[in-house]
Amino acid sequence: MGEKSQDAKFSRRAFLKGVGGGAIGTAVVSTGLINADVAKAYVSESAGGARDKSAVALKVNGKTYRVEVEHRQTLAEVLRDELGLTGTKIGCDRGECGACTVIIEGRNMYSCSQLAVWMQGKEILTVEGLAKGDKLDPLQEAFIEHDGPQCGFCTSGQIMSGKALLLKNPKPTEAQVRRGLSGNLCRCGNYNREVAAVLAAASKTS
Amino acid sequence: MAESSKDFSIVGKKTPRIDAYERVTGQAQYTGDLQLPGMLYARVLRSSVPHAKILSIDTSKAEKLPGIKAIIHHGNAQVPWSSGGLTHRRYIFNNPVRYVGDPVAAVAATDRHIAEDALKLIEVKYEKIPHVLDASEALKPDAPKITPNGNLSVGKGPFSAPIEESWGDVEQGFKEADNIFEDTYITKHVNNAQIERRVSIARWDAGKLTVYASTQGVSNARTDIAKDFGLPLSKVRVVCKYMGGGFGNKNQAQDYDYMAAMLAKVAGQAVKLEFTREDDFIGMHGRWSSEQHYKAGVKNDGTITAVTLDAVTNMGAYRKQSGNLSGTDFYNIPNFKKVIKPVHTNTVVAANYRAPAYPQSVFGFASFLDQIAFELGVNPLDMFLRNRAQKSKGKLAYTSNELEQCIIQGANRIGWREKWHKPGETAGPKKHGIGMALGGYPFRPGLGAATIRINPDGTAHVLVGVTDIGTGAKSTMAIIASEALGIPLNQIQLTNGDTDVTPYSVGESGSRTTAFTGPAVVAAADDVRKQIFNLAAEQLKVNAEDLDLQKGEVFVKNHPAQKRALSQVVERAGELIGRATTNPNFPKEMDGKCFSAHFAEVEVDTWTGHVRITRYVAAHDSGTILNRLTAESQIKGGVVQGIGMAFSEELIIDKVTAIPINPNYRDAKVPTHLEAPEIEVIFVENYDPYGVYGGKVVGEPPITAAVATIANAIFNATGKRLKELPMTPDKIVRAVQV
Repeated sequence: MGEKSQDAKFSRRAFLKGVGGGAIGTAVVSTGLINADVAKAYVSESAGGARDKSAVALKVNGKTYRVEVEHRQTLAEVLRDELGLTGTKIGCDRGECGACTVIIEGRNMYSCSQLAVWMQGKEILTVEGLAKGDKLDPLQEAFIEHDGPQCGFCTSGQIMSGKALLLKNPKPTEAQVRRGLSGNLCRCGNYNREVAAVLAAASKTS
Repeated sequence: MAESSKDFSIVGKKTPRIDAYERVTGQAQYTGDLQLPGMLYARVLRSSVPHAKILSIDTSKAEKLPGIKAIIHHGNAQVPWSSGGLTHRRYIFNNPVRYVGDPVAAVAATDRHIAEDALKLIEVKYEKIPHVLDASEALKPDAPKITPNGNLSVGKGPFSAPIEESWGDVEQGFKEADNIFEDTYITKHVNNAQIERRVSIARWDAGKLTVYASTQGVSNARTDIAKDFGLPLSKVRVVCKYMGGGFGNKNQAQDYDYMAAMLAKVAGQAVKLEFTREDDFIGMHGRWSSEQHYKAGVKNDGTITAVTLDAVTNMGAYRKQSGNLSGTDFYNIPNFKKVIKPVHTNTVVAANYRAPAYPQSVFGFASFLDQIAFELGVNPLDMFLRNRAQKSKGKLAYTSNELEQCIIQGANRIGWREKWHKPGETAGPKKHGIGMALGGYPFRPGLGAATIRINPDGTAHVLVGVTDIGTGAKSTMAIIASEALGIPLNQIQLTNGDTDVTPYSVGESGSRTTAFTGPAVVAAADDVRKQIFNLAAEQLKVNAEDLDLQKGEVFVKNHPAQKRALSQVVERAGELIGRATTNPNFPKEMDGKCFSAHFAEVEVDTWTGHVRITRYVAAHDSGTILNRLTAESQIKGGVVQGIGMAFSEELIIDKVTAIPINPNYRDAKVPTHLEAPEIEVIFVENYDPYGVYGGKVVGEPPITAAVATIANAIFNATGKRLKELPMTPDKIVRAVQV
């Protein structure tokens, strides 16, 4: 699971809720995710309680949303409940299953393990942002053709991890695809199909 | 009906799911994605002790929390949950509580975090009662009693106990044998662990309850809710459009549906009740664990003459389903007797998980047979071929049976004769092994219903009550409709899973959707085709019997050039409606079953105990395959679930506190992309006369043989027999170092 599992381990919401502000600061620095803007948003959390609110500007799929969020709200919750972008699913809410995977600044990350207040100014891509108008992303087309979704609940996450991989490495090997998607559980066990879909999309795009 | 795949227009092809677009774009609306105006969020408080009388529940502090709208518990919400307990009366909140995880209270608040905060403020005083965790311990006379009747789980009718089945004369069979073997195999509680957590949204409008459920069956969920809430069926609506997996633990209505409904009633607002992942692992159910003791009489050539099975299955605190073990189903056993005792303990409930009675007992029995083959010096392939099922229960013929071909084709594909070697004879620390086992699942048609509307433009609207838990059931129903109607798939719209709109369906469990609802779709199509032909006969001035409809065109069978587009035929008809409720006959003197033979090659690292599956072949007889694409996915996925059960999954209950210590994905260790090998699928197709278009069942079977196949491959690699699941690296290292 590599990098992602590290992130997950240090930024689980349950963990955050259980510890004081100082500890959260440590966690954030250790993920290497933070920039100055986010640090500012973060200060108010240290000063107040988890239920305090801050205004953040979220850049999602190229649009900017100004929302007021509770400090304890995760990105996954805000995407789903405030912005109505329910393509991002929550399977475990504790950084284990990957159903909530979105792409933040080019990296696939568990959105259940990122607080919304940390997202000020970051570029976020969700499954809803992949298609260009009516034209599906080649990866989405490949997921249809190769039967990527069984129940479909992990599918958005699988696709977003696949997309992040292809952004970095347009011609991955099968082993690289498996590793790239290894933070995304599929209890239907449809792993053969998901890997085949990513490889097919990679071979289509030049 | 066409009798071979050549005659089908769409059945048997590789057809992408009709709702794949919605699933890959994030537009599919699962239950948890719905938001109703003014909706509250709910959470459940669970017992922290395994067995206790609740002396008091103090909710006063929680009530003062701003945003709290309703708190329910056994003192103010005594709702029976009939399908949750088949041996003793179970409520949505029970007193006494009978396991760590038994629901104690539920809270609805304006947001989920407030509901979570409130749980911490509820004070519960328990008076502890002695508890028992182990099934065999629970059967001892001095064990703490979990039900008034004791711990043997005695329910009514099919849920009586012990479960007993026999045919022939086992004593005579043992006399005819050259050898008698006995052994014991142990399997553990494994959670279904579907990625979609349980969620239910309930609202009341003028006395009518609507539940947006994450259920495998809207019809049976409605029946359950109506019964336990004392409502007529007309006052309950259950809706489930998309379902994020269940594998048997989301069928019918469950306690969380009831809790959402009660909270919504108390609060006077819609309520969304969400399980946490921990709730999901301990608050519903997983597969029953088992201790299986086998005795077999076998001739020197490997022929089985008699088998007995004595077993206990651990059902946890409440009995929801059978607790049976049926892994002997795939063999010819002339004399047979089994006695299975489903037992209550103070642990998480066990009930249906994909092919409920099979993978754990296939592991036991196919391991046992593999061991017997070794001791008799018979090649396992010959052992399984010789004893494969040819008659059911010693006497009934199967409606179709390609088990022999599954074994032969699977063995050829993997190269069994070239690759099999004597167990444990590979040199070096990394050892190659090859193994096999037989599996399958019962097949039987049943009650179904369907409605088909033909729009004035010639497109069709199919209404079926089915849910689609990932099997592709919606697509299968549309494919059957397209085939039966003669209308292309892209001109068919399908509405599913809404009891106010769609006709009855059995619910997606037991691999029954195709066999039960499929025939109704065909009959509804026939019904509406007759109406179409009557209209067209007038327009074309021919007899209705001489007409056919294919590819959206009505034509004269003997003069295909004489035709009319369906859209022209029906354009002034308003709407034609075909409907059917069907319950196909099934002969008493026959049995239906689909079969499989699985083969695996493994590499066992005897230093670390890690096992790599290097090749996996799954050969299946499911009759005609209606959609090759989704059917193959089912097989691949079922095998992967079996891999998790084989190597790593087990819900571990702490022996001192009785607390489940790994109720999450990380510690329950479900397989990831890295543990899933490429699974090669072979379908040995035939045409079952009792299946719709000759199809039997697909979804349940693939997990059945997987665990035993891997276990037998590990034996072939190491020469050591692992008799307890999961086969973790520590167990393997210990076994090979003895």
